[in-house]
Amino acid sequence: MSLYQLQRCLFDYLRAMEDAPEGSERPALSVEGYDLTDDERDALVNGDIAAIYAAGTHPVIVNGYCRAMGYKRADYRPLLESVNAPTEGKTRWQTS
Amino acid sequence: MADIVMAYSASHAPMMAADRESAPRDQADRFFDALQQVRKRATRAGVEAVVMISGEHFTNFFLDNLPQIAIGLGEGHQGPLEKWLKIPKVVVPGEPGLATHIMEQTVAAGFQPALSYKMKADHGFMTVYYELDPMMRLPMVPIVLNCTTVPLMTLAQCYEFGKAVGDAVRSYAGLQRVALCAAGGLSHFIGEPRVGDIDEEFDRWFVQQLEKEDLGDLLDMPNDELMKAGNGTGEVRAWVAVAGAMHGHRGTTLSYEPIYEWINGMGVVVYEDELPSTV
Repeated sequence: MSLYQLQRCLFDYLRAMEDAPEGSERPALSVEGYDLTDDERDALVNGDIAAIYAAGTHPVIVNGYCRAMGYKRADYRPLLESVNAPTEGKTRWQTS
Repeated sequence: MADIVMAYSASHAPMMAADRESAPRDQADRFFDALQQVRKRATRAGVEAVVMISGEHFTNFFLDNLPQIAIGLGEGHQGPLEKWLKIPKVVVPGEPGLATHIMEQTVAAGFQPALSYKMKADHGFMTVYYELDPMMRLPMVPIVLNCTTVPLMTLAQCYEFGKAVGDAVRSYAGLQRVALCAAGGLSHFIGEPRVGDIDEEFDRWFVQQLEKEDLGDLLDMPNDELMKAGNGTGEVRAWVAVAGAMHGHRGTTLSYEPIYEWINGMGVVVYEDELPSTV
């Protein structure tokens, strides 16, 4: 259940940022009111993208969060590469 | 009864509107030229409304309530929501009569789409819609598919849903000339270690499949194999739905460009109703 809470927290944060007036300061992420484990709370408070991803956060949310934090893909790709390896296995469209 | 006078599928990378100039000029030109061809065809055909199918990006739904399919029945659709998208914020006119008919007919055909009278149109719709009608006055029926959150519809199911949408449009008496559009894909990886990759081999194979008469090799692909082409690539479900609506017609690829600056395989495939079904 807490993975949902973690994702809900990020989702609510991203929505709050979208609703903030143009040019206003980026609001702080609040973990109050979400039923989180200590590790999840730490990941959110510290903006630890690798830990957020490793917890199983939906990639659409990871993507939105990274964009909102101003990360370019070149910035956050190395952070995630340490988490898991790309999927292996032959597919029907591969010719080699 | 309405005709589907034009059908096409196009990629919808946010960067195509947010930072168009970031792409190599020749690649961007070829992609937008294809979309301009589509716009001219739509104008020539006198399109009265467009039914657009795109992927859900947690714009209208979230993990607490996430349908596989949802149809926008409203009088208008607010879009785009993304502040950073360089498209004017508008309320796109809806087409409630056609939307309701599609809803009714697809339910009658055995599908269970959710409905929304307040559907919002994010970059998934607006990037492509804006290229179709820069004045943003063409009535739109938005349909969102869950393309990223497992369990997911198979490509075969999307194809069958698209057939039902096509049948519904063609049995609607309120309009005469309707366009159908899929917006999403092609291959891309987001929020994961391969972010920025493009599976060019998949993209070229995929658009070639749409040009064939027999889509069997595409439609029997399991979801886990499709996922290997990228965790955002599942948006091709919308393309497959349009292929279903246009079954009996081959697609023609107008453009394919792997644009790494937009982290997306960018393609445009068009169908035309006047094409004979056994080309």
